[in-house]
This record gives sequence, C-alpha cells and structure tokens, in this order.
Amino acid sequence: MSQERLSADRPTTTDEVMVEVRELKTYYEGGGLFGGTPVKAVDGVSFDIHRGETLGLVGESGCGKTTLGRTLIQLEDATAGEVRFDGVDVTTLRGDELYEWRRNAQMVFQDPDSSLNDRLTVGEIVREPLDVHERGSPEERRRRVRELLDAVGLRPEHYYRYPHQFSGGQRQRIGIARTLSLEPEFVVLDEPVSALDVSVQAEIINLLEDLQAEFGLTYLFIAHDLSVVRHICDRVAVMYLGHIMEIGPTEELFTDPANPYTHALLSAIPEPDPTNDRERITLHGTPPNPRYPPSGCPFSTRCPARIRPDRYENLDDELWTAINTLREVLRERQRAERSVRERLRARLGKETRFGAIEETREELFGDLELPPEVRTAIDEVIDHAADHDERRALARLAEEFGSVCDGEGTPAEPELHAVGEGGRRSFCHRHADGYREPDRVLDARQ
Amino acid sequence: MSGGPIEDDRTLVERVADRPGPALPWLGAGLVLLALEFGRFLGWALSLGAGLRFAFDGIVAIPGWVGGNVADTAGSLAGFLAQDLTALVVLFVVASVLVRLAPWRIVDRLELGWSRKREAYAERLAVTAVLAAVASALAFTPAGSILRFELEVAAWLLESVAASIPTLTSPETIPNQGHRTPGGGWEGTFLGLSPAVAWAIRTAVVFAYALACLVWAWSGYDRYRRHYRQADWTPRDDTVRRLRNHYWGLFGLTIVIGFVVLALWAPAISPVPAEANIYQPYEHEFEYLGEDGEVASITHGAANINTRSDGQHTVAPLSYDQYDRFAPLGTTPRGQDLLTNLAFGARTSLIIGLTAIGLGAFIAVVLSLLTAYYKGVADVLTVVASDTIISIPAFLLVMLISVIFSEGNHPLADPLDGGLLLALVFAFVFWPGMWRAIRGPSLQVAEQEWVDAAKSYGQRPTTTMRKHMSPYIAGYIMIYASLLLGSVIIFTAALTFLGLGISPPTPEWGRLIDQGQPYIATSSWHVATISGLMIVLVVTAFNALGDALRDAIDPEADVGEGEETGGATTGGGV
Repeated sequence: MSQERLSADRPTTTDEVMVEVRELKTYYEGGGLFGGTPVKAVDGVSFDIHRGETLGLVGESGCGKTTLGRTLIQLEDATAGEVRFDGVDVTTLRGDELYEWRRNAQMVFQDPDSSLNDRLTVGEIVREPLDVHERGSPEERRRRVRELLDAVGLRPEHYYRYPHQFSGGQRQRIGIARTLSLEPEFVVLDEPVSALDVSVQAEIINLLEDLQAEFGLTYLFIAHDLSVVRHICDRVAVMYLGHIMEIGPTEELFTDPANPYTHALLSAIPEPDPTNDRERITLHGTPPNPRYPPSGCPFSTRCPARIRPDRYENLDDELWTAINTLREVLRERQRAERSVRERLRARLGKETRFGAIEETREELFGDLELPPEVRTAIDEVIDHAADHDERRALARLAEEFGSVCDGEGTPAEPELHAVGEGGRRSFCHRHADGYREPDRVLDARQ
Repeated sequence: MSGGPIEDDRTLVERVADRPGPALPWLGAGLVLLALEFGRFLGWALSLGAGLRFAFDGIVAIPGWVGGNVADTAGSLAGFLAQDLTALVVLFVVASVLVRLAPWRIVDRLELGWSRKREAYAERLAVTAVLAAVASALAFTPAGSILRFELEVAAWLLESVAASIPTLTSPETIPNQGHRTPGGGWEGTFLGLSPAVAWAIRTAVVFAYALACLVWAWSGYDRYRRHYRQADWTPRDDTVRRLRNHYWGLFGLTIVIGFVVLALWAPAISPVPAEANIYQPYEHEFEYLGEDGEVASITHGAANINTRSDGQHTVAPLSYDQYDRFAPLGTTPRGQDLLTNLAFGARTSLIIGLTAIGLGAFIAVVLSLLTAYYKGVADVLTVVASDTIISIPAFLLVMLISVIFSEGNHPLADPLDGGLLLALVFAFVFWPGMWRAIRGPSLQVAEQEWVDAAKSYGQRPTTTMRKHMSPYIAGYIMIYASLLLGSVIIFTAALTFLGLGISPPTPEWGRLIDQGQPYIATSSWHVATISGLMIVLVVTAFNALGDALRDAIDPEADVGEGEETGGATTGGGV
C-alpha cells in the first residue's frame, strides 16, 4: 500500500454526528440460572460516528469489538448506556419501533460460510429483507435484487444459484447485497475480509469503498488487520478489554500514537523498510480475563509505559515483568475458590495446588538480582501468599509497587484525554498533569 | 435452466404453460393412473375424512368436557363460564391457524396504522368472533343439524360412488373367490382361472400399479428438474444422488414401499375380505363344492373352525383349505387367513406408526426450535419435562397409560381397538428422545450467523425458525423418525403379544406371533415364523432407510461410494 494512496482524498465526511455512543456496557451473564460474575465484553465506551465516515475499530481478538458492533445494531442487548442514532436512543426501542429502525442499520458478517443460509437461492437470500419490510410488489423486489447483485459485481442470472456454487469472495458479495437491500444509512462491517484470500480482500475493500461513495453509507469497520484499517478508515478506535484506548483520525493515530497500547499494536505491523530501527514492543502475558478486569487502567497489567513509583523508576524491566506476573498469579489465586478438601490438606501441612507459591517465586525471581528493599517487599508478599492471605499479599504489593495505573488514585480509571490536533483522545493516566507522555517513557525504557 | 433473466420471473404454472411439451404426457399419465383406481382413492379420502371428523368431534367436545368438570366442583355457573371460555380459546387457536394459512391479510387492506403486533392480534380476534358467530349459529339453530345431515348425505353419496366405480385392483374386477364345479372347473373366479392364479394376478397388478405410480412420480420430479426448475442445481440434487447410490438404503426403501403398498392395498391383496373372514365371520356366507358333489354354502365363521392351523390340523402356505379357499400364507390358529391378517395388520402398524411418529416428531421439532432460539427458561423447562418422561422406563409407561385409558373406557381407546390410544401414548413417550436427538443440531444452527442476520433485518422469530433453522433439522428428524418407526412397530407387536396393546378383532402382527408361538415346533410353524420374519424385515428396512437418509443428507458422507458407515445413530428395537 503506497503512501500516495493513503493520503488520497476520501469521500467527504461531514461533521454531523450520526451515532452517539455513551457509556455503553454489554455484559454477558455467566451461564447458570443464578447469574454469577458477568463477562464484561464492552465496559463503558463513549464515542461518536459522523455521517459518511468510516470508523475503524481495531483490537486483539476477544477485546469486545464484535460485541460492540453487534450492540450498536441491537443484536445484543446493552447492559447500560445509550446508543443514540440521530438523537434516538435505540437501546430502548421495542417491537415495531425497533423493527422500523432496523432497516437503517445493517451488518456485514465475518464468515461468509456461516452468514448465508445454504438452503436458499441467492435471490431468496438477498430478497428476504425486502420481504420482511414489504417493499414494493414481488416483481419490484425481484428487479431490486437483480440491481443489487449487479451493484456488488455479481450477475443477475445468479438469482437462482445456491451459495454453495460461489467462492468465499462471491459469498461475501452476496452478503453485502443483502445488507444493502434495505438501503441502510449505517453499516457495521464485522471483519468483512478476514476470512478471505488476500487477493480477494482488496476487491471486497474496493467494492465497499465504491458502495460507500455511491449510497452515502456510514461504516463501522471492525478489523484486526491494521493495514486494511489504515487504507479504508477516516478515523480509528483502538479497543482493549472492553475499553476504547484511543480514538482519532487514522493518519494522526498511525504516525503519532498517543496511547501505550496503540504503540504496542502498531509496532506489531511488519516494517517493510529494513533501515528503520524502530524497536518492536513486546507485550508480556495475555489479556486479563474480561470477567475479572483489573481495577484502574485495563491495560495496566501489560503496559510497557506503566507509571512506576519514583523510587523504583529505574528498576530493571525484567524485574517489573516478574512483579506484574506475580500480581496476576496472586489475583488468580485470590479468585480460585479453595475446596474443603484443599483447606484440610493445607491444615494438615500437605501439598495443595496452591502451595507452590515458593516455586512461583523461584521461577519469577530466581535468576534476577533483587535490590535489598525489593527483596524484602517480595519476601513479605510471598509470606502472606504462603499463608493463603492473597488479599494482604496484593495489598502489600500495591503499597510497594503500585501506582495510579493500578487504580490507586481517584478516579481509578484513566480519563479520555484530548491529544493531538484532530480531536484525538487517549485513555491513559500518563496524559494527566505531572506524568511524562507515553512515547517519551517508551523511548526511555527501551 | 431454460432462459434469460426476464423469463425467470414467471411462476411455475406460467413456465409450464409456455412450454407444455414435457409436462402434458406426464399429466395425461397421471390422469390415467387416477382413473384406474379412482374408487380406491375416493375410499382413502373418505377414511381420511372420517379421521378428521373424529378429531373435529374430539375438539368440539373439549369445551363441554372442561365445563362439565368445572361444574362438578365449582357449580354450574362456573361450569358454563369455563365452557364458553374454553370454546373461545379453541376458536382463537383455530383462527390463528386460519390467519396463518390465508394467502392475504385483511389488515393490510385496511391500513389502520397500528403496530404489527396489534394488527396481528386484532385480525385473529376478528376471525375468532366470526367463527364464534358461525359456531353458535350452528349449535343453537337448526342450521347445525341441517348442515350435519347434508354432510352425511354427501359422504354417503360419495361412499356409494366409491363402491360402484370399477377399480383396477378391486376383488370385484379380478375375483378370486369361487367354487369348484362338479365338472372340474371353477365358477365365479377371474376368467374361470383357479383362485390361486386369480389371486396372484391381482397381487401382481397391485404391485405393478404401485410401481407405475412411483415411476410416474420420479418422472415428474425429473421433468421438473430438467425443464421447469429455475435453478440448475440445488443442494437436494446431491442428496438424491447420494441416496440413489446407497444400495443398503435402496433395499430398505424397497421393503418399506412394499410394506406401505401392502397396508394401502390390503383389501386387494387379501384373498378373502377382512370383513367376512375376520370382523363379522358369521354374517358372511360363501359357496363351496361339498363332499357329496353339491354346491353348498357356509359362513366364514363356521368354516374357520375347521381350517385352523393348530398343530393337529394345518393349512400350510400356498394351499387350499377344505372349502377351496386359497390361503397364500396358510391360516392362523383360529382358522382365519394369515395373509389377510398380515395385510390388515400392516395397516394397523402403519397407522399407529405414522400417527405416533408424526405427532412425536412435530412436538420434538417445535420444542427444539423454540428452545434453541430462545434458550433460557424455555430450555430448562423442556429439559426437566423430557428428563421426567425419559426417566420412566418407556415400556412400563406405555403399559401404564394404555391400561388406564382402556380400563376407563375412554373414547380415545375406541378407534382401532386401542390403536389410536397406543399411537398417542407412543407420541408422548417418544418425543423426548427425538427432541434430545435433534437438540444438538438445533443449537448449532441457532448459532449460525444467518440467524443473526435474519434478526438484524427484523425477521419474525417464527419465520426465522421455519425458514432458517427447520430445514437443517428436517434431515435429522427424518432419520430418527424412520429409525423409531421400526421401534413403534416392535413395541406395538410386543404389547399385543402380551395381550395389552390392541384387542381383537383388529388384526395385529404381535397377536399373530402370540397365537402361533405354541405351534412353532409342529406342522403349523408358519404362523409365528412368517409374522416374525415380516417384523424383522420391516424394522430392518426402516433402519436401513434411516441409515441411508443420514448418509444422503450429511455432505461429509460424500467421500466415496459404498463406504461402510458406522452406527453413529443406532435406533429401533426395544
């Protein structure tokens, strides 16, 4: 993808806000009849989508971006918050109002194999939304379907074929035709090309751009492929663990990321220029369980620019990684319920599966050189943990190594700070007064 | 695929009208086939009408029954209220079905501007009101009895028409009942041939006719596919192709078709009329050439006493009894004709099997769609209900319920001498199994993105279930239904063998085994052996058919031909 292409003029985006999302939360109830801790797939996000623009939504798998897209078009019920389309909160729509509204917001699904019913002909599939909304006479509907097939690059005589007879890219075109049949204003594209061959991806992306220009569509483009996002999107939102970490104009965000997570994500793009000496930021560990997100910043457990107590600012990075891992282990132990049998074994002084904290210590800190005060602190933490008092162990750890990032301050969560010129916002404590900006920290720590 | 984009928009009728070449001979052949057996088809339609009438009377009796029960406990006023309320509920259900079936909707014409839900309910209520008005007009004015009388006259007329029209396979057209003449020939049989040959000809004609019907149906499908269908390929083509190459399944299909033909054409295949030989043996006489060279006449009942196959005397298969009645499969220990019993027993089994499995499968499919789509509480309740039913041994439960109903002389226990009751009990006992079997596929298909897509453009849940989910379950339910049909046949036979299921005189295979079982080691071995083999054959055939359906429907089975398939789904048998 060339730079000329990137800077080319995009279809004009108005500043008129079309979708306002405010403090939106979508939780999945944890199985069972009696509730339990819900999975916080989307945990309080706020952003706007402007009419005519393409907003990209990127993030690792499992960060909640698909759930967010599905909630926007009311395929999932929002747990809290508002989604206002042209001023109307659609999370409260029921019955006929919802049915009438649905034609305005449609979705292109990720998997072309699963999104088309194989027992219906292409014509029946594309026609179904028209039948549901009783648009025109049967002849008009059939004519409209043929127009749509033509618009997405299929032939009208494909009407009586079955999806089985098409390739993945063609199937995705059928899905796009169905999405467009009701002339929606807003379309959620849920990783529309990630299941396709690379050669076909470009065709579909170009088709989507053409259709946007032709029908004046507004897109929410969900993807994990950053180069595709950079190509097609006007603005980008970066998501992590149910939160939007950074949102802003595409080029600005890609060239000068503000949030540490965006830094890490962007550094994962392979660099074609061998002379570029930019170092790759490696994230340690896996994203936390969305059922038990960390207090404070969601990214704090893995953040390379995490705010550290002043006296430990210059501790070795490896040591910090070990400390972070220790905290995760303790949190995990705290959550795990101990069975009666296990309590008995511990009482009798026998080995339990929780008894191995010493081993954990050996594993994490064994080959590291610990400064005396760090050693003392870690020893105390390990002692508490060995007594099965994970709460106190965590408290001690936070007292010694914690910071505002771990939810020590008020408010615990960072704010969406305005950064850059283009109305970009970033969800990080480091943008507050009194801290160094993330990029400077990242440079310093590398 | 015949034409370009413009032609494609024609309906099937228009397409056929534009190019009648391939369709006309087929339609002509259909008319000829219909004309040859018109009387029999009319007879079937009348039996179906009688069945519907029984169901109708049953539904009509519900409000009175509820009202009577309430009146017994809460006084007559409450009883009347309950009766009227139940009647309205029943009418509302009927109205909902009618509205569903109607090709167009009244509210669409009126353009009331109401919400969709409100319009739908208003429409149903309006139809309910109309139905209630009609119903009370029929119930409280002479109009009702006049209509009933008219219907009865019409049915009687149709019956006499059905009886008078000559049909190809009726025993009147090719008679095999006659008597020897003193001169050595036969009197009253088809072309004066011997009863055995006449019977053989008639049976051959029956199967030839059935084969012709099948060929005709297949040719219709083929012509439609080649000349009139808009799609040049459908997923069903592959299923049919796989089924055509499944020899074990084709074997099953052949036997099953034979079984169905045996049941449908039972009066034609029976060498003696069941009415005369089994149901009313002392009311029907026949003639025979006596020992003294005189033609005498005797009732079937009196003759049967002397033609028993009970170890001491035997009328073996393919032989004549002393009254010159031909018994292709010998006689039963009661002297009745075994083939007549088998043919009408097949009818009993088929009616019970189809009713039980049809009803059970319907319940299972509806519940599986609802539970897979809505999950949550609906799912939990269904799991509890089905587990409760499954936890009671099926055989015990069937015995329990059927004994309660038949001892209580419930009206449901009357048709088929308990056959209908048995079918309903089987439906009740078997739906949880079928529901369990299709639960996985239902849940799987409910997770497909096209179901989400349907939701995203506002498709109604019921339509989504019917259009986007049920086609994927249909295959599975067909497999399990065909496997369970075998089980139902075995179950029925087993119960009757124990003397519980279907009481005489309705013929049943299990009773034949029961009767023949003491003589298995004597010269009358044929009674239990032939009936037992028939059951084995038919049940095996249903299992084979189920196997073939599974392989045909599952695209992953399309690896190679004649590949041995494991018993992933086993069924049938008790």
